[in-house]
Amino acid sequence: MSSQRQASSASQVPHLSPAELSYLYTSLSLPKNPIRPDGRSPTQFRPLSAETTILPGTNGSARIGFADGTQAIVGVKAEVEKTVLAADTLDSRSLAQHGDALNREGEEGSAAVSGQGEWVQMSIEIPGFRDDDALPVFLSEMMRESLVGSVAGGDVDGAKEMAGGLKGRLVINKRWHWRLSCFSPNLSHTPSPLLSLTTHLALLSTKLPKLKSTGEEDPFFDDDWAAAEYLYPRSNTSKSSLSAAPSYPVRPPVTLLVIAVGENVIFDPNREEIAVADAVLAISPGIPNSENVNMLGATAGPGEESGGQEEVEGVWRPRRGGVKRSVIARMVKTVLGKGGVGEEVLEGLEGVEVQ
Amino acid sequence: MAITILPPVVEDVRPYEADSDDSMSMDSEEDVEMAGISRPHKRPRLGNSNIGTGIVTPGEVVTDDPQWMRGHGTYMNPLSTSIIATVAGTVQKTNKLLSVHPLRARYTPEIGDLVVGRIVEVQSRRWKVDVAAPLLAQLPLSAINLPGGILRRRTSADELQIRTFFSEGDLVVAEVQSVHQDGSASLHTRSLKYGKLRNGVFLAVTGTGGSAASSSSVKGGVGAGNSASGSALAAPGGSGTGGVVRSRRQVWTVPTANGGGEVNIILGVNGYIFISKNPEGADAASSTTENVSITRMEEMVSSSIYSSQNDDIPAQTRREIARLTQCIRVLVQNGVRVDEETVMGAYNASLQVDLEIGDDEDEEDEWRQEGREYLEGAKAQDILELVKQQL
Repeated sequence: MSSQRQASSASQVPHLSPAELSYLYTSLSLPKNPIRPDGRSPTQFRPLSAETTILPGTNGSARIGFADGTQAIVGVKAEVEKTVLAADTLDSRSLAQHGDALNREGEEGSAAVSGQGEWVQMSIEIPGFRDDDALPVFLSEMMRESLVGSVAGGDVDGAKEMAGGLKGRLVINKRWHWRLSCFSPNLSHTPSPLLSLTTHLALLSTKLPKLKSTGEEDPFFDDDWAAAEYLYPRSNTSKSSLSAAPSYPVRPPVTLLVIAVGENVIFDPNREEIAVADAVLAISPGIPNSENVNMLGATAGPGEESGGQEEVEGVWRPRRGGVKRSVIARMVKTVLGKGGVGEEVLEGLEGVEVQ
Repeated sequence: MAITILPPVVEDVRPYEADSDDSMSMDSEEDVEMAGISRPHKRPRLGNSNIGTGIVTPGEVVTDDPQWMRGHGTYMNPLSTSIIATVAGTVQKTNKLLSVHPLRARYTPEIGDLVVGRIVEVQSRRWKVDVAAPLLAQLPLSAINLPGGILRRRTSADELQIRTFFSEGDLVVAEVQSVHQDGSASLHTRSLKYGKLRNGVFLAVTGTGGSAASSSSVKGGVGAGNSASGSALAAPGGSGTGGVVRSRRQVWTVPTANGGGEVNIILGVNGYIFISKNPEGADAASSTTENVSITRMEEMVSSSIYSSQNDDIPAQTRREIARLTQCIRVLVQNGVRVDEETVMGAYNASLQVDLEIGDDEDEEDEWRQEGREYLEGAKAQDILELVKQQL
């Protein structure tokens, strides 16, 4: 029973026979033209179907599914919360602001308040796991980190509002802030990139009620939901951005899985393909501003290329030795380069109609 | 374009014809929840003979009319006369017998079924095999052909080197030898047709659940829990669930196009499929086996049948294997049954569709060129239409 559970939900890598692994590896590592088991080209993603605003009672939600029925649902809930600062920072800051206020009357001291990472929560439910097990915690932390870490990239529209990235956007005033909770219920065998894409969409569709109060008053919101503002401000130049150099407002990051097999770089791998990969990289191109790249590598292990074992054609051996630097560089470049896959994915997601 | 994002497909659910004046008196909350598929529980469903429409969920009262007998997929409380559904599916009535036909079910082994399985556990003197059934099947050491031929007793030496025959993760094609009381199966591989699988790809789709007497209404089975392709949903449009059906031939060889050579397809009744390159000297082997008398067949078994080493498979063959895999996926995702006829139809259709696309594609865009072999979306529709024409 327990071993069955492991086989079904705990193990990310399916149990494959040596013959299958060998077949897959050779097919995927064919020079120039890998043959994927489902016939996709190396950079092709599985077609997705996406919709947003599906959960009532959330500020934003999205569902993305593959054609085979794998799907992910993410909901985003925003709550107003009182900002609690550590005692000493509060003291020094209020003192400083007091002094500032004396000097420069009328200027808002809001720049002094920066957002905090803990204001964004992410919880992922995986059947068969407790919510404090390593896998759900790691997954949610991985997604949360890239969300919090993304910052506005230079002077683009919306950058003023999104100064300080998502964290900055959550600040209402010095004493109040928004708390965002992203949750993904019932995640069964959902690959993490799918989850990341769904979170991206859910956040894009997230609306916060319009603030009526100003300055340091206790927050007071407009009742009219139609007047609510998007968490991530829309760029009103969606049409022109296609032709001109696309100006990217701040967008929630997405995490893409990229694998290297032999010399080939392959996108959106399925579980079988991951099983034979030389290296798996999770790359988050938040905005094409390469400082925001979170990378998470899982290589086959350190060491020199081709260890003591000699390769026998047609027989599967777990790969030994790391990946060449040039391959890693190529993987990153394909995602992040100008007109790279990362841009295409973000554009595609932008195209999803957010009601 | 690297990524395609489609709008969601609205599942075509037949609305339940409820007389509005009746449902006014019912609990309004439930009406909203079930979105017109089903009606509130208390109501007798069969009074007005609209049984067979809509979907019932486990625990839902199908009827409390005592005239009905309960069939598969239903449950009857000894203290009451109401029939309760135990599976999610459509209600079926045969004369006065009421049964619920599940939307998806696991494979129920039957004696003589050809199945493809994956070894999940090695025990002393037997293997446990995942065959997509509710329970793992067992393959005793005494039910395999030992290399070297002659029928002999299984010795303790064989038991010690049990992993040299099959080890965890290995794929095996076998036949159901017997079915136990609890529904678990015993397999055997005592034929040259059966044994370890290599040189190809594995694919899990839905298999037959329950009786496969009516091949037109295949019960969906849950595919492999460990494969992403396994979880095929009911087709949009309610055209039934696709999957492997019991048919005359579960194993055949395809002479593929584009220089792919010959490819073997094994459709396990349990929904597990293996597509592999036809081994080179197969003709030679079969010709020699013809000369060998049937009683000495086992002597032909060499130790190579338990090898995990793949032959050299050219890229063209790999491409055609990938194409066949996708053809089967297209069939399953659209609720068409999978057997020799439909698979071959889909394969030929995919070749034809590719030819047509090749014709009207004069300026070969780079991104159209790449991913051409991926059969989904518009191509899948074309293939389906061609297949359906042939049926």
